Amino acid sequence: MAAKPIASPIPVALYPTLSVFTLAIGLVITAIFFIYETTSSRKNRSLGKELATSAVASVFLGFGSLFLLLASGVYV
Amino acid sequence: MKQSSVVVDLLLLLLTISVLTTPAFSDLVLSKVERRIDVTSQFARVTKSLKVVNPGSESVSEFMLTFPKFLGNNLAYLSVKTKRPLANLSVKKADPKGIPDSISVYSVALPKTLSKGDSLTLEVVATFTNVLQPFPEKITQGEIHLVMLQESAQYLSPYTVESQSLSIKLPNARIESYSKLENTKLQGSELKYGPYKNLPPFSYSPIVVHFESKAAFAVAEKLVREIEVSHWGNVQVTEHYNVVHRGAQLKGEFSRLDFQARPNPRGVSAFRHLLARLPPRAHSIYYRDDIGNISTSEMQSDSKKTELLIEPRFPLFGGWKTFFTIGYGLPLSDFLFASEGKRFVNISFGSPMIDLVTEKIIVQVVLPEGSKDISVTTPFAVKQSQEIKYSHLDIAGRPVVVLEKNNVVPDHNQHIQVYYKFSNINLLSEPLMLISGFFVLFITCIIYTRADFSISKSSPTYLAKLQWDEVVATLQEVQSIIQKCLAAHDKLEASLRDLSRTGDIQTCKAARKSTDSLLKDLSKELKPLLAFLQSSPSASHISPKVEELVVKEKELQEKLMAKHTTVVEGYEKKSSGRDIENRIASQQQKIIALRQEIEDLLEFIDEI
Repeated sequence: MAAKPIASPIPVALYPTLSVFTLAIGLVITAIFFIYETTSSRKNRSLGKELATSAVASVFLGFGSLFLLLASGVYV
Repeated sequence: MKQSSVVVDLLLLLLTISVLTTPAFSDLVLSKVERRIDVTSQFARVTKSLKVVNPGSESVSEFMLTFPKFLGNNLAYLSVKTKRPLANLSVKKADPKGIPDSISVYSVALPKTLSKGDSLTLEVVATFTNVLQPFPEKITQGEIHLVMLQESAQYLSPYTVESQSLSIKLPNARIESYSKLENTKLQGSELKYGPYKNLPPFSYSPIVVHFESKAAFAVAEKLVREIEVSHWGNVQVTEHYNVVHRGAQLKGEFSRLDFQARPNPRGVSAFRHLLARLPPRAHSIYYRDDIGNISTSEMQSDSKKTELLIEPRFPLFGGWKTFFTIGYGLPLSDFLFASEGKRFVNISFGSPMIDLVTEKIIVQVVLPEGSKDISVTTPFAVKQSQEIKYSHLDIAGRPVVVLEKNNVVPDHNQHIQVYYKFSNINLLSEPLMLISGFFVLFITCIIYTRADFSISKSSPTYLAKLQWDEVVATLQEVQSIIQKCLAAHDKLEASLRDLSRTGDIQTCKAARKSTDSLLKDLSKELKPLLAFLQSSPSASHISPKVEELVVKEKELQEKLMAKHTTVVEGYEKKSSGRDIENRIASQQQKIIALRQEIEDLLEFIDEI
């Protein structure tokens, strides 16, 4: 009955790098979302485009903030 | 005063024992007993080596280990082993009939029954707290710290002892006095009593040793140790200490001047430092109390351990207390393992401080959310319970296993295992919570831009705003149509270039035809939009510009078509390239100028 040590699913040393990249991508997509919101007129807005952009942005922002919390020592 | 009353107690004990008739015990005989008592630190550590022989006819399966009551009440740690083969034996507190009340008995289960003539060697380690009594009990700052140990020179046991000896290891300091019985020797700082031969059961001769102790009598009244396991890669340990000096109390005042005087500082009985041995690869170590960070600490780490030397805010004299918190993080793969479908945390139980006695320890092991089937194995008895802790990103809370124990000595610093079941999918719930939080923010934005917050629906500004929105939408559509027209023009030019390269007239004509039809469709789409723009009042300043744009675009279209026809004719007649170019030169210039004007107008419309 050998006991295997368990480590985290992602190497701990990668947390800061991952957080920077995912947050950057998330913020860029958030910017795209808000630009679309402000430059389109009421009639021309498409709900599908808005929902798709916000979904992708929230996925990247969610993971980015999780890795940011882990990299700064708050092991949630 | 106290010394003599205890001696009287012991003499009475001796009398009662000898008066009682010997009860019927299994007639084991201890052929050799060697006892070593180590009192160099604040507790007494007794190591006994007992050779048990069974001369009788019955086989015996248990052995009675006895201590006088005043020692037995202070017993913190007891372990019994056999050397060959190396095995731990189970020990239970027993209460057999016939043993007087002033003796505490522990029953040891022998590994295999001892039959006639067999012998067995038992190694017993017992640690006692509170048996080194400070005497005098109150001292001033300048006096040395003297303590007293009361023991028995002969091993108190219900069995006959054939040969026994006792050696007491004292600290390397002043020895005030010791009881002088027969066969007593003092060698350096080791006191030897014995050997004594062929003594009856329950024989007892009390001795008292009075000596100076330089050990730090640091006792933690309460230690709360929280071990938080996070599957993202970290085990965080936080320890809250309430430390008190349980040696001789300080009488009189404390003089800082005397304490720091050189060359003879006064204050030997106090201690300043506490040393903690943490596991290797401990990181993010902090040492603080309610006031803030305490900077008087040092850390040294190597591959086997991390040593943390801390100094409380003031030196501790007898009766003084201090409280502080130590925290550190440990890598997860050193402490979390998987076996047989379950995971377990393998971590040390007691305080990492060396030579610290804890009166009450509470260990809380916080497991991640979603852990099930929790069970704990400890090498000694603890009181278990379960709680819930709500922490970061928790929905239902994290299960906490709470282990409590009283009277903990450094011998208890062994590893405990906490088993539980956890699947890695539950790790995803935390990022999902963050993602849904951000998504709710975005949905709020979407709803806000679509919601109508105007108070009055018939005010002129509101109506003007609505009209302007429509105008902007129409303008955008006009823009897109013009862009499509321009794209068609580009395609036409591209076909001309292809013609000059390949000489294929038929494809050129086909491209011309398709572009023609496309442009016709686009102009049809443009008509109603233009009509709307002309009719709406709020677009009055833009519609002339738009009309100008459309007109220019038509001009460009015509000129481009003319040029195209000329070039194709030129190719059909097979006239030279230069000829063709001359013919279309003027047209080309106009085309370029028109194109530029159209693009300027488009920019202008864009900026509105």
